[in-house]
Amino acid sequence: MGPDSVQVGMDPTAVILLQVRLPRVLLAFFVGGSLAMVGVALQALLRNPLADPFVIGISSGAALGAALALLFGVGISVWSMSALPVCAFAGALLSLLIMYRISLAGHGFSIYTLLLAGVVLNAIFSAFIMFLTSIADPNRAFGMYAWLMGSLTGPDFATLGVLALYLGMGLMVLATQAQSLNLLTLGEETARSLGVEVERVKQLVFVAAALLTGAVVSFSGIIGFVGLIVPHAVRLIVSADHRLLLPVAGFVGGMFLMLADTVARTALSPGEFPVGVVTALVGGPVFLYLLTHRNRRVGM
Amino acid sequence: MRDAGNVFSGPAYSLREVKFRYATPSRDTSESVLKDITCSIDSGEILGILGPNGSGKSTLLKLLARVLRPQCGTIELLGDPLSFMSQADIARRVALVPQETLQIFPFTIAEMVLMGRFPHHRGLGGWHWEDSDDLRIAQMAMEDLDIVHLGARLVTDVSGGERQRAVIARALTQQPQVLLLDEPTAFLDLHHQLDIARILRRLNRERGLTVILVSHDLNLASQYCDQLMLLQHGRIVEVGSPRDILRPDLLKSVYGCQVLVDSHPQSGLPRVSLPV
Repeated sequence: MGPDSVQVGMDPTAVILLQVRLPRVLLAFFVGGSLAMVGVALQALLRNPLADPFVIGISSGAALGAALALLFGVGISVWSMSALPVCAFAGALLSLLIMYRISLAGHGFSIYTLLLAGVVLNAIFSAFIMFLTSIADPNRAFGMYAWLMGSLTGPDFATLGVLALYLGMGLMVLATQAQSLNLLTLGEETARSLGVEVERVKQLVFVAAALLTGAVVSFSGIIGFVGLIVPHAVRLIVSADHRLLLPVAGFVGGMFLMLADTVARTALSPGEFPVGVVTALVGGPVFLYLLTHRNRRVGM
Repeated sequence: MRDAGNVFSGPAYSLREVKFRYATPSRDTSESVLKDITCSIDSGEILGILGPNGSGKSTLLKLLARVLRPQCGTIELLGDPLSFMSQADIARRVALVPQETLQIFPFTIAEMVLMGRFPHHRGLGGWHWEDSDDLRIAQMAMEDLDIVHLGARLVTDVSGGERQRAVIARALTQQPQVLLLDEPTAFLDLHHQLDIARILRRLNRERGLTVILVSHDLNLASQYCDQLMLLQHGRIVEVGSPRDILRPDLLKSVYGCQVLVDSHPQSGLPRVSLPV
């Protein structure tokens, strides 16, 4: 479909609205919703209300996978399908497994072990990514920097379709495990005593979370804290029941990122800054507040 | 209410040469927690498992719910080998009340009690909204434990004792034939200790519920258990009635300290006191 056929009988405003704005808004909604639902799943699985794909290093794992794919040229796309999300998925899965091992090794149950490990994992992956960008040619490196900071610019409908496919698969798996996630928040042993096949549920949720994170990161870079603040707010206002929490957090997360992207796009109009800046500026302080205030109440 | 359960007339559990050690890759010198446990636990009785710290009591309880799997030996639950059952099959027959009930996420008490219905629903990962039967069963369990008024409160906001009662209500909501409890009265005040003990005995007498509990409270065990099992270093020292087990010489050899045993003024059952 060429540009001429689109513009027949349409004024430029409509073209901008349908061809530029709409895909971007949809991308924001998909990405925000997925990040929030991954946050929900990770929090249940790791029994840690502060788990977030960005904070505990899953997003940077995915970014490293995607960066490797970009640099070694496997980012060539066929019908908008590329090796990028697959490599990002592999990176996300790897870092998830590392985090899970760490959460098991932590003596007893400690929220701090996981956060500290997340900081270190983030640092390691970032170092690798910086190394890769420093050996890449400058043009490519600049593009990678912009992407890493979290950006929702310029998707077309084909890209969106591919993303929706990945997200759909991940979300379907998470949705079927909602009740099992409820029980997993009680601890693995208790969940098992209530009839949950814990190992199978964990495997499914790990793969789904890595798939969602990998897809989201490969399309829009690293956008932090959505997976932390949205589930927390929904849990407080709506319910901790994952059968409600997952879909509602998904919807709210989508709306939240749409709003954040609007701010990023219009606050300094005509210039714009990465949406990751907005989510970090909102989410970072909320995270710090939760870190200092939750502890006392929950006794962690 | 019990249907399939009363058909089987054999023991609730029979264990043969069960051995267990925790798999710790970093410390491969780890000693076996349970060494060669062979025993039979009768249906319809209240069994108290006693023993010093580290004797393997809690581990044994977890093996009975297949929260952990033994490395050697077989465990049969109501005649069926535990190793061949699905986790949901087990959870419909056996409920476990764990010792640690720390809550992180703000579920309401009612929501948590209703989680006991999970093993009764099949389908995609247990995706299911509770029906009126589930609600009725949970309501009854909450009445039994006197927590109906707490239904809408958050598990993160109630006291340890209230949470403990909610966990027991959740276990009853599984409608099990066997109830396993790890230190059920550890966090409760005197009033609620007595309450829990009486509820357990009532469920045992009226509904034929087999109760297996781990306790450090020798006197409560003496008053409410039909049988006591004494563990030491992962082995069974002796199984018998409270009168057979709570003897000064036996307790001294297992716990390593002199105790005084006299009779409870009401029941005449053994009463254990520490010397001054």
